[in-house]
Amino acid sequence: MFRRSFIMLSGVAALASTPPLAALAATPKDQLVVAITMSSMRGLDPHEINQLESAEVVANLYERLIVLPADKIAEPQPGLAESWTISPDGKTFTFKIRQGVKFHSGNALTAKDVEWSLRRLVKLGLAPSTDLRQWGFSADNVEKLIRATDDNTLVLETPEVWNANLILFSLASFSTSVLDSKFLADKDKGGDMGREFLQTADAGSGPYALRSWRANELLIAEAFKGYWQGEPKMRRVLLRHIPESAAQRLQIDNGDVDVAARLSSTDLGALEAGGKVDIQKTPGFGYYYLALNQKDEILSKPKVREAFRYLIDYDGLSATVMKYYGIKQQTIIPPGLPGAIDKNPYKLDIEKAKQLLAEAGYPNGFTKVYYATPVTPEYEVAQSLQANAAKAGIKLDLQGGDHIGKFRNRDFELFSARSGERLPDPHAILQSYATNANNTDEAKLTGLNAWRTAWDVPKEIQDMVTAAAHETDQSKRAELYAKINEAYLAASPALVTSFQRTDAKAVRKEVNGYLGHSTWLTRWDTVTKAQ
Amino acid sequence: MSIAQTTEHPYQGSRKLLSGLRKIATSFAVILTTLFGLLVITFIVGRMVPADPVIAVIGDQADQATYDRVFTEMGLDRPLYVQFGHYLTDIAKLDFGQSHVTKNPVASDLARVFPATLELATLATLIGACFGVPLGVLAAVRKGTWVDHVARVVGLLGYSTPIFWLGTIVILVFYAKFGLIPAGGRIDIYNEGLVEGPTNSLLIDSLLAREWDVFWSAMHHVITPALILGYAAMAYLSRMSRSFMLEQLRQEYILTARAKGLGKWPIIWRHAFRNIRVQLLTVVALAYCGLLDGTVLIETVFAWPGLGQYLTSALFFADMNAVLGSVLLIGIISIAINLLSDIVYRFIDPRTR
Repeated sequence: MFRRSFIMLSGVAALASTPPLAALAATPKDQLVVAITMSSMRGLDPHEINQLESAEVVANLYERLIVLPADKIAEPQPGLAESWTISPDGKTFTFKIRQGVKFHSGNALTAKDVEWSLRRLVKLGLAPSTDLRQWGFSADNVEKLIRATDDNTLVLETPEVWNANLILFSLASFSTSVLDSKFLADKDKGGDMGREFLQTADAGSGPYALRSWRANELLIAEAFKGYWQGEPKMRRVLLRHIPESAAQRLQIDNGDVDVAARLSSTDLGALEAGGKVDIQKTPGFGYYYLALNQKDEILSKPKVREAFRYLIDYDGLSATVMKYYGIKQQTIIPPGLPGAIDKNPYKLDIEKAKQLLAEAGYPNGFTKVYYATPVTPEYEVAQSLQANAAKAGIKLDLQGGDHIGKFRNRDFELFSARSGERLPDPHAILQSYATNANNTDEAKLTGLNAWRTAWDVPKEIQDMVTAAAHETDQSKRAELYAKINEAYLAASPALVTSFQRTDAKAVRKEVNGYLGHSTWLTRWDTVTKAQ
Repeated sequence: MSIAQTTEHPYQGSRKLLSGLRKIATSFAVILTTLFGLLVITFIVGRMVPADPVIAVIGDQADQATYDRVFTEMGLDRPLYVQFGHYLTDIAKLDFGQSHVTKNPVASDLARVFPATLELATLATLIGACFGVPLGVLAAVRKGTWVDHVARVVGLLGYSTPIFWLGTIVILVFYAKFGLIPAGGRIDIYNEGLVEGPTNSLLIDSLLAREWDVFWSAMHHVITPALILGYAAMAYLSRMSRSFMLEQLRQEYILTARAKGLGKWPIIWRHAFRNIRVQLLTVVALAYCGLLDGTVLIETVFAWPGLGQYLTSALFFADMNAVLGSVLLIGIISIAINLLSDIVYRFIDPRTR
């Protein structure tokens, strides 16, 4: 019995170990293989998701009225809207919808679909609905304010005057994707407007159609032959769930994947040195930040807050763990946006921090609990701060874990994490970091980092943020943002920003046109492969 | 033997039947109690995990209104015992709920991920048993010789080498350096989508569909992780077999058999080995159970979309429906394997009847 089993198994093992030739070849010339981590993907409904990997998929399955090209992120270009006009009072946007666009179902895309989709986003009221709700749209007024006047015209009215770019940028976000309303009509379950169906299916008009998706395993999208801009070059795009950074590195190095999207700093460094791939560092609109709870008596002292700015090793981290993940950035508006200034006045200075602590009345330091997310590179940044703080007499009890809930509920002392916004405009960041209309616990403005930190943001800063959002003159607006930037830096903020977030991806050199996108809208239809 | 012992009482037949039924009822009660206990503990532990399931769904930037809406949608506003009660009622209807992460019904997720783990664990157990048991027996028979030393060193290495590390090294050498094995996954991308269902085991489905390329691709992908897991199982089984065998070889009946002039190998296989079969079956069943729920590390290294990865990911994102469904499945499988071993014991050892 044993002998038979042994012979059989040896035979099977030997046969199986003889590789089919195809297994170790490079990826096909007409297919793009992307290694990603799917663990945090939450379905594929554009009006529900709020996460980078899902957003990239949705960006290719669906289309939006406006396009923000990866290399001209703040210049709105026509998408499904062929053109648009804005009324003199700045409140009415009229979009001419492109004709001849088909959904994957074969249905023609009309202004009615756009109307239905934008209304659906607001009515569902899920996380991405903020993209429209923040401008005053609600389930009660959306029927009146967003309407298709005919098959080719969509009119959108804002309850208040906002800078036009804010509205146009919002209409380029994945959340405002246009859905096939006719196709979804019979997919409705209990008034969910097709929500259950769209978790694992698509109803878009984008360059790719979903073929199959097995969560935490594989997603296959196929080129849409009827795409109005022509059939994409890549016949199929495959996203493979490869959770291990080392495995991603080996596979891209061997040519089994074309793009690796979740690599550690070490692996990115090794790949860059290897010369087979390009490392794309895409700056995002978010920060690595340290939050100091202002309900704490010690941390609420401006000199203590200022001391923490001298305890971060900006240059040391830039050269090591943050090499691919961030860019040193101490002001609140990232480079390239209106009001940005090239100013990083702080550096690691333990003696200066000690002096500030002594002036604040804590010459011997103090002890605090410090929550940080135990993932790379956030945790390494936190460990570095902990070590420097100890030198200045501050004992930080660093606790890893998922503490975001405590941060939202103001139940913390120190907390650090990474944020990410999706509008290429200073307002998106400033709204969260520099506005807090009501600092009471009861207000529960849990979406705002400033409220979570219980930071009573100086009124003049908040007023300027509001004024800038409504300002229609771009140069005046830029001036306002420059002032806000300076004022924020000088305010010893309770939200200390140290690095601008960057998302790093490794892309094989033979792959062209795969461009990291700051608002998570990387396109696959622009990809080609060198022969 | 007395007459009273051989004459059957008129009611003895029905008494036997009653006793049999009582045993079955007791077994069922034990199984149900075990599963219920498992669910209660998992449910309570799940609620103590610090991750917030609502934030896992909506992201941390969402405002309070969105948070409150999803909190209610997920049924978290109800008292714990009500949530648990609803869950039990749904399970009774074979509805494990929906995963908040994958957005699929948990039952369909499990039907997809469990066969992947099952084929990996089964192959690994076969490899472990087919190599480990003979090695252990040989080491016991040749105790103190180089064979024994080699077997013990092999066993010790299997015990002490972390699977995660071994998997990474194997990939590094045999995939990256020599290009002999695939880096991970269940199948080559060229064969994706060619075979779907009905069992979700690619090996079986491709055989049924006579898709030989798919079968070889699947076998080519499964063999490396299976060999690594099988090696760990082999280390455990060889040590246990050696120890069981040594105990038997010290028994007097072995001496008697030798005195009767029986050959060495007939004594070992027909007498000594026969007596350790029940113990061996127990440890093989335990090893199998361990592999079915404990392959998460190797699944991560080889990007194997199995139950271990599914459960870990669900725990990380506080996806309680998925966690409870997975734990229940593991519980049922463990109980089923134990029951099966009990039945097999009765066939191979009359004393257990």
